[in-house]
Amino acid sequence: MTATVAPERTQAPLIPPSTHRFAEVIHRLEAGGSMLPDTPENLQQIIGIYKAYAVPMDFYWRDLLYIAERVFLNPLPAFKYFISKQYLDLPNSYAGDQASLRIWRGGEKAHPELLAFMERGETRRMPKLLHHLWHDRVNMEFAEACMQAMLWHQGMGGRFNDYLESEAYRANADRAIKAYFKGNPVMLGLYRLFPEMFLEQVRQLSYTANLGLFWEVMAPVFFEMSDIYDEGGFKGVPDAMDFLVNGIFAVAGRPIYHHVFIGDECFEIIPKSEGFTWLYEAALPYVEAVFYRTSPFRGTKSYNAQAHQVPADQADFHYGILYADVFPVGSAGIPPTLLMQDMLHFLPPYLQDLYKEHRRGEEDQLIQLGITFQRSMYNVTSAVIQALRCALLYPLDDTDPEHLMANRRFFEAQMDRFLRPEARLADIQTQDYR
Amino acid sequence: MALLLLFLLPLLAGVLIPLLPERPGLARGAALVAPVLQLITAAWLWRHPPGELVVDWLPRLGLVLDLGLDGLSLPLVLLTALLTALAVLASPEQQSRPRLFFSLMLATNLGLVGSFLARNALLFVLAYELTLIPTTLLVAIWGGNRRAGAAIRFLTYGAVSGFALLAAVLAFGLLQPGGLDFSYSALAHHQLTEPQQRWLLALVLLAFGLKLPIVPLHGWQPYTYSQAPTPVAMLLSGAVSKLGAYGLLRFGVEFLPDAWTAWSPWIAAAGAISAIYGALNAIAQLDMRRLVAYSSLGHMGMLLLALAAATPLSLQGVIAQMLAHGLIIALLFCLVGMIEAKTGTTAIPELSGLLNAQRGLPFTLGLMLVALMAAAGVPGLAGFVAELLVFEGSWLAFPWPTLVCLMASGLTAVYSVRLFNRVGFGRLDNSKANWASTTWAERAPALVLTALVIGAGLWPGALTGWSETSTAAIALRYTDAPPLLAKASGSVGPLFSAVVLPSPLLPS
Repeated sequence: MTATVAPERTQAPLIPPSTHRFAEVIHRLEAGGSMLPDTPENLQQIIGIYKAYAVPMDFYWRDLLYIAERVFLNPLPAFKYFISKQYLDLPNSYAGDQASLRIWRGGEKAHPELLAFMERGETRRMPKLLHHLWHDRVNMEFAEACMQAMLWHQGMGGRFNDYLESEAYRANADRAIKAYFKGNPVMLGLYRLFPEMFLEQVRQLSYTANLGLFWEVMAPVFFEMSDIYDEGGFKGVPDAMDFLVNGIFAVAGRPIYHHVFIGDECFEIIPKSEGFTWLYEAALPYVEAVFYRTSPFRGTKSYNAQAHQVPADQADFHYGILYADVFPVGSAGIPPTLLMQDMLHFLPPYLQDLYKEHRRGEEDQLIQLGITFQRSMYNVTSAVIQALRCALLYPLDDTDPEHLMANRRFFEAQMDRFLRPEARLADIQTQDYR
Repeated sequence: MALLLLFLLPLLAGVLIPLLPERPGLARGAALVAPVLQLITAAWLWRHPPGELVVDWLPRLGLVLDLGLDGLSLPLVLLTALLTALAVLASPEQQSRPRLFFSLMLATNLGLVGSFLARNALLFVLAYELTLIPTTLLVAIWGGNRRAGAAIRFLTYGAVSGFALLAAVLAFGLLQPGGLDFSYSALAHHQLTEPQQRWLLALVLLAFGLKLPIVPLHGWQPYTYSQAPTPVAMLLSGAVSKLGAYGLLRFGVEFLPDAWTAWSPWIAAAGAISAIYGALNAIAQLDMRRLVAYSSLGHMGMLLLALAAATPLSLQGVIAQMLAHGLIIALLFCLVGMIEAKTGTTAIPELSGLLNAQRGLPFTLGLMLVALMAAAGVPGLAGFVAELLVFEGSWLAFPWPTLVCLMASGLTAVYSVRLFNRVGFGRLDNSKANWASTTWAERAPALVLTALVIGAGLWPGALTGWSETSTAAIALRYTDAPPLLAKASGSVGPLFSAVVLPSPLLPS
């Protein structure tokens, strides 16, 4: 018996292949994929690390809001990381039964693994202060470094930063400052002498609230992704990226605001009615400031600005996680080291097993998880790039070659940012990078 | 009998190992037994001093199996046994051609121990020559990429050294008034004329200057040390080079005192030049092995200065420096070998960030810091004690050369800091840092050496206690001289104004 096979009809591509150095990655993005190659191990790594990231993040967002709303301008905020019970129980807007848009199926209060860690830490049960001094705790310094990166780079699009210079903002802040220091002639006198200094502190707190509200969304997103993966729900890296893209659009309109609670009164420094939204005023500036730019980390490596080791233009800064050397010695940008320490406490067992199989196993899992985190953030950045393409340009299955070329130019422009030698895009294309 | 055991252990093991079945680790284990037993025996002999063992071998040639231990040779026998054991431990578990490798290592040990135990100059020559062949083969077979050149150079320099020594020893024997006699007691007591002493000293300086080595006879050293496999480099630098210092002490200071005293300013100058030349070259090196080799050359220069001064204190410094340098240099080569085994290179520009706690070699670098500090003479470590004795003992005899050596010692800190800064700090390249951490078995030799370096620094008697009597007996200058002699010293010249020369009739 003979079988005749009909010749396969392949559709000619509407636009020529890219000649970019990262052409393979661009073609993958054009096919709806991620910058991270679609392999089962990559999927396992990124979902596992999202879970490990989400638990400390659940603390970050609560404490950031606690600092912005309650600690406020305390001149000696020694206990700002000692979050109150009220904020540990603060219902997440995207988890629990009360959520109008429920992203995670879990509870609205602080995650049980977080509470267990806060209780015992790595060591044993002891007073909170001793845990803190022993550094056996969640490192809020990382979250504050992210906030400061957003504050410092500013002006990355959106209206949020412009509003911080407006008269309305100054008036709101002025009311809150005076109320906060009511009955404190020393601080009120200082405020009169140096009003800009106090205003600058309030602006920083507004960015603190901004980041807290951003992460309030991301924590349940990552928890839910982890649960879906555990149930066998994701088939590949693009599925995980699509979940993120859908999540971004679902919460894009979430209001970004800054409220301060002084006594029983709530002061709206940035009222919700100003219309600042999560995607444009928090998510995009965050990705730009934290994933790409940040600033040279004041750690073990010195940078000589006069020798042009630091770019003259802030937009050219490249010290974020997408470029970072995750080795503790000589690392740059926001210190992933602290976050790596935090995530280490909450690694799912399958990631621990994976790390044991490679390099030095348990000895260097801190480095391995740092690189996993880098892979996962390339995936998050891919989701943001796809979301932007979706919002600003054309669908991927568009049949108009001009539209496809516009998409191509957009993707190539994004990939241009990874041409510099510090970028890790080329590294994450293989599994050898650990 | 115990003396013979020191000699027989490496001999028997060296003969038996090639007959063992080829099983992984068997030859290595067997090779370890001999030096460990040798070490135990030597330690026992320290507490129970043996008599001399004299057995006629070829009486017509004056060759007698005359073995003995004194304060000069005992510490060196201990050092040799220890370094052989640690060199065997430092060899890779999967050593290629293990039976031949370890037999040659033990043959080297045999030559060294035989040289130190010998109380007969001809026997010394035989043992001295014995070290040359196995070490050459070890470098030629298991060395680095340029091993052939290194081995040929080592052999050539070694052969010249051997011929010069043979000529000197034959002349020593033939010049004996009572007929052919090579025994040390005869050599020490026989009065040679001044020209005879000078000719003999020239040969002795050539022979042992090549072995030590000193500038300008050092051509083989950096090349050979950089190409030798790690265990061989440990043994060569830690023990074999001490043969040169020991030979100068015996044949130069002890047997040719007048000529030695007369030439000592030049010898001290050569020592100072070696010290500063070694230190400056070490600063310029881009390879860790060559840096350590030049560092060794510099320290040998200090040793020569102390030998030239020949005061009781400086001669104690010689023994202390031999022991301290033996431990420190072996430790440095051991650590460089560990780094090379993991990273695949010893090139300084290619290495950085090795102190990285997760992916680097922090333990190895930590030990290296101790070793470099010891080499730089930091107090509390073995190098400090030895250098203090050398400088204090030599200062009054040769202030200027001592000052130069002090400067060289200061430069040791320069290349130590430079090496540590480049290799330990900076960014560790993740694409290259794909090596496993060192295991405790790999660390063991370095740990033992580090413990000894620290121990000797905290308890200096471990370096000096062996030799006080022996070195005092052969010292040529005394700083605590009686007033009459002190007055007479004025005629010696300003260089020696503070020390006195004793009678040429020396105690043996």
